[in-house]
Amino acid sequence: MTQRKWYGKDTGLSLRMVLTGALLIIVYLAFLTLLSFYVDFIFLLVFAALFVFIQFYFADKLVLLSTGAKLVTPQEAPQLHTLVERLCSMADLPKPRVAVINSPVPNAFATGRNQKSAVVAVTTGLLNNLDTQELEAVLGHELTHVKNRDVLVITIASFLSTVAWFIMRFSLYSSLFRGGNRDRSAGAGLIIFLVSLLVWLISYLLIRALSRYREFAADRGSAIITGNPPALISALLKISGAMQRVPTKDLREVEGLNAFFIIPALSAGSIMNLFSTHPPVEKRIARLEEMSRSVERFR
Amino acid sequence: MRILDTLLGRTKLAPSKVDALFRISTAYITLETTLDMQHANTAGICIKIIPSTPFERLKGDLDELLQIARRDTATEFEMVKDQYGYLWIVLRDPDFEDLVTTLHLISSTLIESGFGDQLLSSVFKFTKEAKAIYFIYTYKKGTFYPFVPLKGRERDEQYELKLGALLEPELPVEKNRENWYPLWELPL
Repeated sequence: MTQRKWYGKDTGLSLRMVLTGALLIIVYLAFLTLLSFYVDFIFLLVFAALFVFIQFYFADKLVLLSTGAKLVTPQEAPQLHTLVERLCSMADLPKPRVAVINSPVPNAFATGRNQKSAVVAVTTGLLNNLDTQELEAVLGHELTHVKNRDVLVITIASFLSTVAWFIMRFSLYSSLFRGGNRDRSAGAGLIIFLVSLLVWLISYLLIRALSRYREFAADRGSAIITGNPPALISALLKISGAMQRVPTKDLREVEGLNAFFIIPALSAGSIMNLFSTHPPVEKRIARLEEMSRSVERFR
Repeated sequence: MRILDTLLGRTKLAPSKVDALFRISTAYITLETTLDMQHANTAGICIKIIPSTPFERLKGDLDELLQIARRDTATEFEMVKDQYGYLWIVLRDPDFEDLVTTLHLISSTLIESGFGDQLLSSVFKFTKEAKAIYFIYTYKKGTFYPFVPLKGRERDEQYELKLGALLEPELPVEKNRENWYPLWELPL
């Protein structure tokens, strides 16, 4: 029996994801077809697969190490654990490990190769700036990333992009330093270089777009799990507002982790939306306000 | 369909299950006869609040329903908001059956009004030699687990495991021990 809900579907968002995914597949298929003419690139494919797999398999450990996030027990952070446990119970998810990062920049991230090995981390800045409901909304956003297996999805989506990047570097070196001394000419090397560059560039933009759609999906998920879209709105406002007050030095320290964060930390100016892993805060808020209205209209 | 939901990043919450709630009535007899446990005349339900007009309306409806229950079966009730933004409806009634039926009534009302997602758990309190023992029902899983708190946020895990094993034939006990989440500072 299906139960009546206050929230509907976001068909537009699903369609965008399908479209982005389809474009990626087309680009990748064309790329693979071209690659198949140069058999020795199979080695590169295997090498890249290994590289990406290791990165994916150790996602939780790598990120924990590079952020300095410390796992906390329920005794050390009772409120945080209770919030996570209750949300997991509501969303029927296995409970991830919980970590805290000692940084004044208010932010949060989720990582891990699967739902069982997932880690949800928050900064001390987040804990100090947000109230319970806002913190819960941010945790809901991160748990939705876990639920949607976003680390896996983005890893798969960017695999051939990584390969293209490798080949780009490889073909550049081989044509520059060894010229066309093998069975293929220098001209072929240049073509491979240009094609890989193009594939990498297009797929990079597509993956960024996909990543932004996953963010919208995580915002939606948070609103659905917590039933409290306004709490996420005020959390996003507080985080992006506080980000502007944090010293640039602290921001630079965490900049490399932007793809994981709920709101990316940017120390200088604004960059074009096209290159961003996250949608602009105003757009995210507009969508959450739409969800807020659909709760109010529900009867 | 789950793969598609993951690929498209769609959040769908598992529907709340209410029918297994009644199983506590039979398990209660075992608890009382073989384990010498008494029910503490109280039970509660934990609901995630949606701060909105429709939810306030639902709360009003529940209040009316519970006023009727108070008249019909003398089931006392109290609504409390906890520090995490969850609503607790605490029931008091010396008749265990009345507690179970009233909790079931509240749960079904939530599901019918489209707020079934908001159901977290129902808690039944028992005592044995001044020790408080709780049985927690999780709506998304449709399973029970025991929770025996000790002083200083400790749990009597051995006793919990024993209870879980003993009640297995009569009660759908949550298989995964990691999901036996504690509920500290219970309002009952």
